[in-house]
Amino acid sequence: MTEEVTDQSAPEEGLDVSRDSPLNGPGVAPDPAWFEQAADEPPYARHVLTTPLHLEAADESRTNSWAEWAGYTVAQVYTSIEQEYDALRTRAGLSDISPLTKIRLSGREVVTCLDRLLTRPVGDLESNQSVRAVLCDGHGHVITEGVLFRLGDEEFRLVLRSSHMDWLMQSALGFDVQLEDVSGTIAGLSLAGPMSDNVLALAGLEKPATLAKHHGAWVELGGMPVYLSRTGMMGGREYELWCDPADASIVWRRLLNVGQAVGLRPIGAAVRDIARLENGVALEDVDYQSAFTARDPSEALSPYDLCLGGCVDLDRTVFNGQSALRKIAASGSTNALVGFELDLADAAGVGPICNGDKQAGRITSHAWSPMLQCTIALGLVEASALGASDGFSIKTHAGENIPAKLTKRPFLGSS
Amino acid sequence: MSDDALQYDAIVIGAGHNGLVAAGYLAKAGKSVVVLDGAKAVGGAAQTAEISPDYQVSTAAHLISGFPRQVEKDLKLSKHGLVWATNDMVTVALDRDGKHIVLSSDRKSEVATIKAHASQDGDAWKAFEARTAKYVKLLKPFLEKRMPDVSEDGATKAAAMLALRLEKMGPLDLRAFLQLVPSSVAALLDRSLEGDLIKGALSLEATLGAAAGPHTPGTAFSYVYKKTQEAIGQGMGYPVGGTGSLTEALASAAEALGARIRLESPVREILVEEGRTTGVRLADGTVFEAPIVLSSVDPKTTCLDLVGARHFETPMVNHVSRIKMRGATAKINLALEGLPTFENFSDREYGGRLLIAPDMGTVERSFTAAKRGELTLEPVMEAVIPSYHDPRLAPMGHHVMSIIVPNVPFDVEGGWDVQKEPFVKRVIDTISDYAPDLSDKIIAGEVLTPPELEERFGWGNRGWHQGNMSFDQLLAFRPVPGMANYEAGVRGLYLCGVGTHPGGGLTGLPGKLSAEAALAAEKVS
Ligand SMILES: Cc1cc2nc3c(=O)[nH]c(=O)nc-3n(C[C@H](O)[C@H](O)[C@H](O)COP(=O)(O)OP(=O)(O)OC[C@H]3O[C@@H](n4cnc5c(N)ncnc54)[C@H](O)[C@@H]3O)c2cc1C
Repeated sequence: MTEEVTDQSAPEEGLDVSRDSPLNGPGVAPDPAWFEQAADEPPYARHVLTTPLHLEAADESRTNSWAEWAGYTVAQVYTSIEQEYDALRTRAGLSDISPLTKIRLSGREVVTCLDRLLTRPVGDLESNQSVRAVLCDGHGHVITEGVLFRLGDEEFRLVLRSSHMDWLMQSALGFDVQLEDVSGTIAGLSLAGPMSDNVLALAGLEKPATLAKHHGAWVELGGMPVYLSRTGMMGGREYELWCDPADASIVWRRLLNVGQAVGLRPIGAAVRDIARLENGVALEDVDYQSAFTARDPSEALSPYDLCLGGCVDLDRTVFNGQSALRKIAASGSTNALVGFELDLADAAGVGPICNGDKQAGRITSHAWSPMLQCTIALGLVEASALGASDGFSIKTHAGENIPAKLTKRPFLGSS
Repeated sequence: MSDDALQYDAIVIGAGHNGLVAAGYLAKAGKSVVVLDGAKAVGGAAQTAEISPDYQVSTAAHLISGFPRQVEKDLKLSKHGLVWATNDMVTVALDRDGKHIVLSSDRKSEVATIKAHASQDGDAWKAFEARTAKYVKLLKPFLEKRMPDVSEDGATKAAAMLALRLEKMGPLDLRAFLQLVPSSVAALLDRSLEGDLIKGALSLEATLGAAAGPHTPGTAFSYVYKKTQEAIGQGMGYPVGGTGSLTEALASAAEALGARIRLESPVREILVEEGRTTGVRLADGTVFEAPIVLSSVDPKTTCLDLVGARHFETPMVNHVSRIKMRGATAKINLALEGLPTFENFSDREYGGRLLIAPDMGTVERSFTAAKRGELTLEPVMEAVIPSYHDPRLAPMGHHVMSIIVPNVPFDVEGGWDVQKEPFVKRVIDTISDYAPDLSDKIIAGEVLTPPELEERFGWGNRGWHQGNMSFDQLLAFRPVPGMANYEAGVRGLYLCGVGTHPGGGLTGLPGKLSAEAALAAEKVS
């Protein structure tokens, strides 16, 4: 076998690499360089990042199946999709959401700055309350969306799926605000499922039951400070726990240990994705292109196109996208991201969405929902087709036309 | 209007020449107008003051070449004391051996002086001038009117406007023009002419006041643009009493039309309510109310400091904060007890604009030195003896000399305290190469380094024109795409200073066109 390898790799000039190799030569003194530590590498030189929970996740993984999320490695599946899904929807699931970008905004003019940055005003937000945040560019196209937490009078935290730090910095120009990417200093855990409260209670927390939706509070979990918020994107009873990266493993362990009694399981990215779809949440770079990455202007979408019109408050002081959104609001949006139920086991590779005979859009993400016992999908369709009397349909790869039933988002009723 | 009124139809910020022109046109249209300026005197960078008792000079800007006759007539400036001391000055490129090149309307003698340096330049110069004239003809209409806004469908309109005029040029001229736009003036001149002196002088003209050297891309277009501005004006010259007389006439005309000018009233804030301007607040807290506000303060300061970033969407803040404003010059004004003796000078040369720029290399080196924060060993300059056409500026037989030295760093290595004296000596020595008796005649002088110009006129390190006059910041891109029609993104607020189209120098056109824009918008609404 060694010979074979040598044969293949020996350069044609006949240079015998194997002889020079320190591993082969008998009696060759080890090169001290082998034992030297690699030079410190700056964080931006790394392309494969691990979260503070990586070792815990590796420990739990029974499949060695991983996913990439914003450069981080996270578990795709720990045991099996069925088991994890079942835990999430009937008991409780724990997952690692540390790859999320967290931006701390603070300063005297932080409210005016955010009012200009987001499509809705934030002045009325109470401390420890959070709200869905939509960021638009000057054309009224969605750059990204996320969740904004108010942590104090002059302190907020913006949680996004991707950073867009350059835009945020530009948008801070001229305001007395400080902006800091604190992603690396905060680990995130998501605890979701009907038994979440029980898990927290077993971990020694009674208070969460009284925590209103979208609200948060500092709690102590096993002696460690944790910011607990009733937020998440999977629907149902769910919490997010934000803590120091150094404490993350311990929090994770503790929850899993006490949660075993009620059937808590770690859940991977695959099940998270099914769950967010059941909850009707659209994702940047999956269901829509960020205004900055859209290759074609027509690919970029307004909040109205994404059915996020509820997050837009037009009649107030200047905010990014305001003048363009006024025009769009007046003329009506051209696209709509809507939910479909498909009578199909697997929607992979299906053709375009049709309305009558006409092509009307495309599926942006889809999954089999075990709860609903059908395939659910988000589809981007021409807004004009929504009013048409013809129903929507989809052509399968078998060439068969099957009906696509327009369905309200979220697909699963939330608790 | 009573003297202490706080409510007007329109407020103009800045009593520089553009602010005063705007105020004049608004008042003429029947608006009640107040002009607010933080300084003690009107005029902005166009003011006349004493160097020492009895010696008067235009403190900063000293030559006028692009002021249109129309503005003068509309505002009846001659009635308000505007008298031109001269408006057909020649340009003299000084030569150490006395073989000066004299650019003037006298074609024959002009060509003769150019040919004296390179015989083939005679024909080449005529061809160069003819081509320049074509470009000027192409551009001139654009400089006399408002530009469409390129942010939306205006872009197509602007492109169509330009395309139409380009098409009329014919393929050869069109090719030459397209080649010209990104070129450096050095490339343009090297393509066209041979003589070092003529190229040195023209490259100085093209780059004067800008942070650019002859080899800087885009300066060929700057040259053509300058020539176009001159074509709109009434010839090169200055009024009796210096450039300050122009702004004084403008102030008097505006007041006669009913405008009020309030000095020592620095504006701290432009007030905005629900996306609309409502007036301004002074540094002392006084509020003036008006539905229309015109600001001749540079666009960056107007938008980001006076209005505030919060009133603009991020992309606009981005555009505005990136307006390039660079370039520093020094001004030296001398009181002389007699005319310095230049070899081979006659009347028209003494009364002309004197350029010291022996070749393009010297001009380029002065720019390179400035980039490094150093002073060049061979300064280039533009000098005028204004008392020659306007004897009352100095006592009988005495004179004043006004010198602009470009490419002088704002922060000089070693500091201005140390560098000022050697700098002035170097400038005087350089002129003495051409007029050896100059130093004997100096009886007083005033040196304004860039930091001092900053203190007096707010200019300093930011160029002359509230934004570099390069192609990317001209025409429909001036001051930024989306504001080319003078509207500053807040309803009722207009920009009216030299930072707006058609830009720099003493032309009054930004003031006139912005006032027209404000009046037109009012009619529509
Ligand atoms: C050294 C030098 C030499 C020059 N030489 C020439 C030349 O020879 N020929 C030529 O054509 N051009 C020349 N220029 C350029 C020319 O002077 C300018 O382009 C022109 O003066 C600009 O006029 P303006 O009215 O737009 O602005 P300015 O003349 O700058 O007027 C602006 C006014 O606004 C006032 N102001 C600023 N901020 C406030 C505030 N917050 N509140 C109230 N008022 C405020 C200022 O006091 C000033 O009076 C020269 C410039 C410099 C610096």
